Amino acid sequence: MTVLSAPSLTDVQMVVDEVWGTFLGTEEPLVPGPAGDLEVGWSAAVSITGEWRGLVSVELPGPMAAEVTRRMLGLVDGLDPTSDEDVADAVGELVNMIGGNVKSLMPGPSTLSLPVVAAGRVARPSDVVEACRLDAGWGGAPLVVSVHVHA
Amino acid sequence: MDALIIDDSRAMRSILRRTVTELGFETLEAGNGQEALDHLEAGRVPDLCLIDWNMPVMDGYTFITRVRANPDWRGITLMMVTTESEHGQIVRALAAGAHEYVIKPFTPDAIAEKLELLGLVAKPVPA
Amino acid sequence: MTISPPSFAFVSDLARRETAMLYDPGKEYLVEARLLPLAREAGCADVDGYVARLRTDPVEQAKALDALTINETSWFRDNAPYQAFTEVMLPAMVAARSHVRHLSIWSAACSSGQEAYSLAMLLDQHLPAGWTAQILATDVSTTMLARVDAGRYSQVEMNRGLPATSLVKYFSRAGSEWEISEDLKRMVRTQQLNLSAPFPLLPTFDIVFLRNVLIYFDLETKRDILRRMRQVVAPDGFLLLGSSETTLDLEDDWNREAHGRTQLHRPATTTLQPIALTGA
Repeated sequence: MTVLSAPSLTDVQMVVDEVWGTFLGTEEPLVPGPAGDLEVGWSAAVSITGEWRGLVSVELPGPMAAEVTRRMLGLVDGLDPTSDEDVADAVGELVNMIGGNVKSLMPGPSTLSLPVVAAGRVARPSDVVEACRLDAGWGGAPLVVSVHVHA
Repeated sequence: MDALIIDDSRAMRSILRRTVTELGFETLEAGNGQEALDHLEAGRVPDLCLIDWNMPVMDGYTFITRVRANPDWRGITLMMVTTESEHGQIVRALAAGAHEYVIKPFTPDAIAEKLELLGLVAKPVPA
Repeated sequence: MTISPPSFAFVSDLARRETAMLYDPGKEYLVEARLLPLAREAGCADVDGYVARLRTDPVEQAKALDALTINETSWFRDNAPYQAFTEVMLPAMVAARSHVRHLSIWSAACSSGQEAYSLAMLLDQHLPAGWTAQILATDVSTTMLARVDAGRYSQVEMNRGLPATSLVKYFSRAGSEWEISEDLKRMVRTQQLNLSAPFPLLPTFDIVFLRNVLIYFDLETKRDILRRMRQVVAPDGFLLLGSSETTLDLEDDWNREAHGRTQLHRPATTTLQPIALTGA
């Protein structure tokens, strides 16, 4: 039986903080800890294969996904509507950035997949187990970043 | 100066477009390496390419090897802008002909400083 | 959320008294941005609540001072001074120190160490074989010095002005951070030092980088620091200030030499030097 290796919560937190702080504005920082019940509006995942195998996912409520999209596209707060296509693109890029940096926390070389994005929850393979879970709040709403590994 | 922004995410292209426009570049965009090659082959040869690694159709690493194989495109400065951040991958990209490498996430200052290193952006003379 | 005038006055007095750094009115946003994370960590509702606690808690005061003295730093910041280092200062000092084959350099107000390690990278690339160099990195903040000793930098910090070739040559991954090589760490020694107070016993330095820190001090303190600097820079050595600091009134202690857009300062000789004996 092999020991499941997973990134530490501290390292994952640091990766997520950097992505958030850089692209989504420092005036509204990510607050660690659960921030209430998460009603998943959008989610996205990337898989990592190679020396290390795992799945990195991000789950957000719908309004937060829209706000992430507006900020990444540089649209004025709340004014411009965002299409589902825009939201899928932005949330996909978010998980790409987090996933790529999580990959670098683990022994390499490994390959990063293109992101899979879904309105609602993305389906995970049945043989994975959660190895690391970061609950956080942004603008008073909850989000979850998790790392799953193959059992 | 012209910059070709190559990234499959429109949101990321938008971030990069705002950053380099601020630095005085005219921009062109491509959603993957093949679209970027199409621009080059059609004679739209930029001074700078900002290149994501993971993209559908043709990835950024392959794009770099293709650009480097054509002597006509020797003058293009190639800068990877990617979440790929393993030590070995940066080495690989540089060996293939990338001039610089920026890891996502980045601040606009990081892009500006790298372009200064490459001599593509003149640092304003301090007052 | 905004910091109240009495809270801001308390913080700027504290910073001025302990570090001689000036936070003038108008810098409220800066104080807020730097203290807000500490306020959250301490469980205070806002920055004013945190400042109330600062008034009686010396441990938090030390943390707040650390946070207030953090400067955003890039590798090879502003580029030109490092060009001057490689093209002018280093060759001059190598010529002048061939008898000892050692250089002594001071990175004053080193913050998280990017300046000291940028210099270490250049020394690694340009110092002749068989030579050694020591870089003293000092800062008022012990938190910063601990970071320099650890030599670990976040992804975002790594992107700031560090050529990719240097990244792959001198750094390896360490979790979510990157760690500088042991060889470069050995070149850098840290020491806590408050520039506004009398210097402790220091060696004589061939080159001193004192950049982007004088702007925080009042005129009298600036003059005093530059007078004391004069005592620790070798007579044939160099002092480099930040680009906005070169027009300061340097009195008669320093001569200026321009290299491109970089101003190099060298100790002025008040009396005529005797003619150098050559070939003796």
